[in-house]
Amino acid sequence: MKMKKFAALLTTGALMVGMLAGCGSSSNAEAGSAASNSGDSKYKIALIQQHQTNAFQIAVTEGAEAKAEELGVDLTFLSADQDAATQISQIEQCVSEGYDAILFEPVDPDGLGAAAKAAADKGVVVINIVSACTDWEDYGISAVSYGDNVTAGEEEMQHVADLLDGKGNIAILTGPSGDASGLQRMQGYENVLKNYPDLVQVVQPADCQWDTASAQSTVESWLSAYDLDAIICENDGMAVGAGNAAGANSGIIITGVDGTPDGLEAIGDGRITGTVSQDGAAQAANGIEAAVTLLDGGTLESNVIITTNIWIDSDNMSDYE
Amino acid sequence: MEYVLEMKDISKTFPGVRALDHVQLQVKPGEVHALMGENGAGKSTLMKILMGIYTKDDGGEIVFNGKPYNVSNPKEAMDTGVAMIHQELNPILDMTVYENIFVGREIRKNGLVDKKAEIRESKKLIEECGLHVSPMETLRNLTVAQCQLIEIIKAISVNAKVIIMDEPTAAITDREVELLFGHIRRLKASGVAIIYISHRMDEIFTICDRISVYRDGQYIGSGDTKDLNESKLIKMMVGREITDVFPKLESQIGDVIFEAKNIIRQDNKVKDVSISVRKGEILGIGGLVGAGRSELVEGIFGMHKLASGEIYVKGEKVTVHSPKDIIKKGVALITEDRKVTGLNLSGTVNDNIAMVAIKKLLSNGLYSKTKARKAAQEYIEKLKIKTPSGDQIVGNLSGGNQQKVVIGKWLLNDPDIIILDEPTRGIDVGAKRDIYLLIGSLVQQGKAVIMISSEIPELMGVCDRIAVMSEGHLSGEVMREDFSQEKIMTLASAIEV
Amino acid sequence: MKQKRTAKSLMSEYFIFIIFAVLVIVLTCLKPSFIQPTNLVNILKQASINGILSFGMMFVIIAGGFDMSVGSTVAFAGILAALLGKGDYPLIVPLIVALIAGLVVGIVNGVGVAVGDLPPFIMTLGTMTAVRGLALLICNGKPVTGISSAYQAIAASSIAGIPMLAIFLVIVIIICAFVLSKTVYGRRVYACGGNLLAAKVAGINTTGIRISTFAIAGLLAGFCGFLMTSRVTIGQPTAAESYEMDAITACVVGGVSMTGGIGRPWGVVIGALLITVIANGLDILGVSSHWQKIVKGIIIVLAVLIDVKGKSKKN
Repeated sequence: MKMKKFAALLTTGALMVGMLAGCGSSSNAEAGSAASNSGDSKYKIALIQQHQTNAFQIAVTEGAEAKAEELGVDLTFLSADQDAATQISQIEQCVSEGYDAILFEPVDPDGLGAAAKAAADKGVVVINIVSACTDWEDYGISAVSYGDNVTAGEEEMQHVADLLDGKGNIAILTGPSGDASGLQRMQGYENVLKNYPDLVQVVQPADCQWDTASAQSTVESWLSAYDLDAIICENDGMAVGAGNAAGANSGIIITGVDGTPDGLEAIGDGRITGTVSQDGAAQAANGIEAAVTLLDGGTLESNVIITTNIWIDSDNMSDYE
Repeated sequence: MEYVLEMKDISKTFPGVRALDHVQLQVKPGEVHALMGENGAGKSTLMKILMGIYTKDDGGEIVFNGKPYNVSNPKEAMDTGVAMIHQELNPILDMTVYENIFVGREIRKNGLVDKKAEIRESKKLIEECGLHVSPMETLRNLTVAQCQLIEIIKAISVNAKVIIMDEPTAAITDREVELLFGHIRRLKASGVAIIYISHRMDEIFTICDRISVYRDGQYIGSGDTKDLNESKLIKMMVGREITDVFPKLESQIGDVIFEAKNIIRQDNKVKDVSISVRKGEILGIGGLVGAGRSELVEGIFGMHKLASGEIYVKGEKVTVHSPKDIIKKGVALITEDRKVTGLNLSGTVNDNIAMVAIKKLLSNGLYSKTKARKAAQEYIEKLKIKTPSGDQIVGNLSGGNQQKVVIGKWLLNDPDIIILDEPTRGIDVGAKRDIYLLIGSLVQQGKAVIMISSEIPELMGVCDRIAVMSEGHLSGEVMREDFSQEKIMTLASAIEV
Repeated sequence: MKQKRTAKSLMSEYFIFIIFAVLVIVLTCLKPSFIQPTNLVNILKQASINGILSFGMMFVIIAGGFDMSVGSTVAFAGILAALLGKGDYPLIVPLIVALIAGLVVGIVNGVGVAVGDLPPFIMTLGTMTAVRGLALLICNGKPVTGISSAYQAIAASSIAGIPMLAIFLVIVIIICAFVLSKTVYGRRVYACGGNLLAAKVAGINTTGIRISTFAIAGLLAGFCGFLMTSRVTIGQPTAAESYEMDAITACVVGGVSMTGGIGRPWGVVIGALLITVIANGLDILGVSSHWQKIVKGIIIVLAVLIDVKGKSKKN
């Protein structure tokens, strides 16, 4: 019996390893092809994403991949799966494997500083993308490349205010309580709302966990009890849910942040009004470029590289699909 | 056809153990055939082979009703005509009576369960059995005895040719035993054969026609009940002569050491009962199942709320809020259901023995395995616990040895008053005798023992005094010199006046 | 004495119904629009997916098991349905594929538990993680957009004012209630959860029954995946996160015993509605969603407490 169980475990284990190897080799092949185009790759660069499970993150991956190919560097992707401890050990691993530069999006703004410092002390170029560690310069991080969540929030709310002429009932859908980028976007909303006393939040912001279905339920409930002029969402997924609840061309202004395919689709058929794209691809590409510049011995114009936000609505969405 | 069932030359080997060694069994139609032997003799293994739970080794054969019999699970056995009432009860507590009776063989109508027919049938079966419960009642609300009778009804209702009854009376009252025997006689008359497994000699001699005896996986012999007597049987089972079944050690009876006055339980299961016990004395508590005996001691022990009552230990009044309070005063309760309240079955012998008196086994404030092992070893020897080592998992020991572990666990705490609830339930002759001797030696050391038992001969053999309960009341006390079965039975069935 | 016991057990049996009624009355008083038809329709819509999942979960729990993987299965089946629901195939194709995907996950769970003898929690925790990975893998982490309007219409349409989703829920409830209370199979599901050994001794194919309950949970999760994609109009690999917890909550609150063998369909209906009404009601009141968690938590513990107390009194 015990032997049987052991054998079963072994088989499963072998299967899993096989699968992983399969996946690994395919992505290596991609990365490898990026490098082989320019003969010997100049540098080995690692990019550690927070996770790879939504459209924004995929855009980051694709943007980095394209830039790496263009510059002829050998790029490897890792995913920390939202876990700070995983990310720390990944950074340590990359250092010991002799990478020239490490780009990462900190899972936790406060937890990754020491690991970054250890890497920088070993002479590795460390760059934050998408978001930055707290006091990143103190930890030897050479540059940060991100879209500013606060300005993204400001821009989103500003568009809503303009569309409503500064007057109306609004509601806000947020990401998981305590999520850093969500809080920053909320900060942006508040910065704008200060100037518009007639924009009234008739309900408390609802935590919809970035989730479409949950946003859809919440907005359905709201709409049966409140007269809303605008629903401002901290990401596109929730905006799509709100749009589903309101229906196409409902007259309610619904906005999101990200510019993901589902968001664009909803803009196309009138379920949502517009979105602020943070351009994850550009954030990653700028990060790679900065890393290569530094490795070449050059200097950066500024070590804070902010990607401009783009407002996408039905007028200009064909440029981004 | 002389035999309805013949098992010939059956062997069963478990890894490392020969559980059955070329044994046989012949059962005639319409007879009650007792299987006897100590625990580990191979009776259960033999029956499990018959039910298709175990597969026998190659060689040997089973003939049922003149045809070769090969079943691979209990369902097939039942379909063929062999049913079993298990020693470990198998009720589904959250299902109703009728659902339990028909579990696995539901009555169908148009492919669906025919509840009405099941309820009707169950009602009939229950009435025939003389039981007064509604078929719609949930088993959780029934007593152990009622559940057991439901199991028996279940077996009767499959129209089996052979019914195996494994300790069917272990938990039911004498009145219910009589009802059961009535059923057995009726089944006999209709040609059904009963294979009857029990440790209770009186039952064997009352109801069984023939007896087969096994010992250590070997077949010892068979005979008609009328040609055998108790001592012959014991000799066959144990392999040596046991002269006194109930050894009684002399001890000095001293002052009252424990007293419980006017105990009334909040749920009214015990109504104004007072008992006391002296140093060196064994007090028996007799009565029918459900008379409130266990309820009384559990109430005293703080496991249930009392509406009123006073408890004195060594002359000092004790307020009992929880068992902890009275354990501290040197009272131990060895509960009836050792598997539920007595033992951690997946723990080792050492761990179990250490459980109560753990404070004695600390070294620098931490649990010391060395101390525990030493203490456990002492009791393994003292109580003759048959175990390969103290590291054995208790669940793997026989019932008698498990019971000894429970006793050892409490003795380590060195109590002065020891309450034992059915200490010999379901254990074999040899182990019972060890426990009687142990109780005797405890009172010799000046401890006091209160012992609950449903077996009147056992109480009469072991106790100095017997308090008898009936329907929650104390109906009387009998001193050793006045002991008689009739007297105790009369008190036990006394109805409240 | 007997009557007292009955009163107590009645109390524990209908406790959740009382809580539900009280909640509805309180919400109506605080915000009259709660009881408006449009909002009642909302509640039905919002209860349906969790309700269907809860009924699958109910089979598993009654049979003595536990399934952590249904949320992931919803996402996995939903992605498959979205990929196949872009209008290239008739709608039956994504439906069947979603059902099969759910069924396969369920059978894997069942075999692991009943044959492999793994604790249900561990087995389904494993599939929960792995199936979520599969969902992410097949769509490369991106949401799948562009499902056909016919597919979107399934969840969006209604018949005589009653949303289709609710109609699906009612159909599932009727079938499950019928199976559990009227069929031999249902009886045996209870028997397995009530006392596995007894069921085995009674000749019931306990392995088969246990596998089948996981299969039912998987199948219904697959169906939910299909509906989910239609409702949110996209296939999301991250959808239905922790839906298993809501399903388990609905069961527990509805009186299904975590040790198996006990549970009535109508209790689960109330359990599922209760969870929805808490969320919907607090949304309507416009209070912070953090309150939802607090209220839900309190109700879970209360429900189980009453359940346990009611039972121990009987013993």
